[in-house]
Amino acid sequence: MKKLLAVQITALLLIAGGLVSMWVVTPAYSEIKAGIVDVLCLSCLKLQPKTSSEFVFATANNESHPSFVFDNLTRGIVFLEWSGDSCLGCDIMFPVIQDLFDLTYDKQDMVSRHLVFEGNNITFYYTNIHHAIPERVSSQFIYDKDHVNGIPMFTVVTLGYDHGTVRPMYTTLYGTLLLDTDAERLALLTDILEQSIQIYHENSEGFHH
Amino acid sequence: MKFQRKRLLSQILIFFSANLGYQGLPGLKTGFCYPFFYCNACPAATSACPLRAFEQSVDKGSFAWRIFLYPFLILGFMGVTTGRAICAWACPIGLLQRGTGRVARHWRKYKVVQKIGRMDIEHYFRYTKYLLLISLVFVTSYLIGFVFTDICPVGFLTGTIPTLLLYPGKFVPNFFFSIALVIFILFLILIFTIERGWCRYFCPVGAFLAPFNKISFLHIEVDTKDCTHCNVCSYNCPMAIDVPTMHRDPECILCGKCVTACPQKHISFKKV
Repeated sequence: MKKLLAVQITALLLIAGGLVSMWVVTPAYSEIKAGIVDVLCLSCLKLQPKTSSEFVFATANNESHPSFVFDNLTRGIVFLEWSGDSCLGCDIMFPVIQDLFDLTYDKQDMVSRHLVFEGNNITFYYTNIHHAIPERVSSQFIYDKDHVNGIPMFTVVTLGYDHGTVRPMYTTLYGTLLLDTDAERLALLTDILEQSIQIYHENSEGFHH
Repeated sequence: MKFQRKRLLSQILIFFSANLGYQGLPGLKTGFCYPFFYCNACPAATSACPLRAFEQSVDKGSFAWRIFLYPFLILGFMGVTTGRAICAWACPIGLLQRGTGRVARHWRKYKVVQKIGRMDIEHYFRYTKYLLLISLVFVTSYLIGFVFTDICPVGFLTGTIPTLLLYPGKFVPNFFFSIALVIFILFLILIFTIERGWCRYFCPVGAFLAPFNKISFLHIEVDTKDCTHCNVCSYNCPMAIDVPTMHRDPECILCGKCVTACPQKHISFKKV
């Protein structure tokens, strides 16, 4: 009986001490919140979000466009990719985006590049939400057009004409784009990029930064 | 208030507190892990599923020790203090099985069911949950990536179905949907045919908590000296444990049905 009580007390002290230490000393709480609770797990859902490539002006959470996007719109369209650890869809799309822009980077990197796509300037941002600065992570919610709150997520920001003013306009695609092969995914993304570039050229002169 | 009513109230309150994260409402999203089986993909979930955290911690050969240790310690704390009481007093899937248990109990009057229940092999089936915990949650995640979350029937019930109902037309099934649907139907058949069938045979969280019954502060004790072996306790046990001979049984979920059923009051909760 005494032996069991000793085991119980030791186990309780170790576990409770460990738990309190994790809350106080480590970022475990925020890692679980940001990495699992705040982001929709499409694997757990057994569903894929429907993707529509419709361009819209209003941001998803009514916040203004982040400065790193807005500032770069003077030189061309902006492409943003959000990914994460332990995400099958992200793993599928990872090489597709690298192919699209002929880039190489690691899954846990935070990438910002000025690129040339079919002779046009574009700015590319890759954000792994589990390994990025808060500004980049929170920008996901600005562009979460269909309020899916899941990864992978891809946004193209261009310039559009809205009631007499030229301002940023974007579209967001999710998951594996509801397509079965990498070639189909690549073709769809290329189409959207080309369309965005065309819209950009039509409106860029009226954009006052 | 009657003891089992208190338990029902506890289950209902915890069910609602586990679902305070709906975006339309204040949307309480926390960084805790549930100490029971509930899916973080539920539109109203406040916390993370511990199994999802375990899977993520060892995903594809990696080892994220904080993501592993955190749910381990949360479950461990509940395990050391209350053993598997979480299954009976807090788990929403336990609450669901409390409802379906009435139907499952109905089948017990048939002789063939009694015969199957008495088969030796039934005891070995209970090890399935440990096998699931090790193989589907840890080993496959480490070797090939998520598998359990893709086919989890609890995720289907608490994540997939509410999402499809709340956001019609926004999502389409993925590759695993049909497999998960079949498993979900089997899950429904199981819980309607065997009382606490999920807890007994398949629940990986139950498997994690079960060994803690051996050292938990809270446990159920039978006064074996004065027990008359009337077996009313065993008849009432939803986990089909032979209560008079049990001593800190890993299968016991501390629901207290045996405590309230014992006509001689020889069964009681002990705190140390």
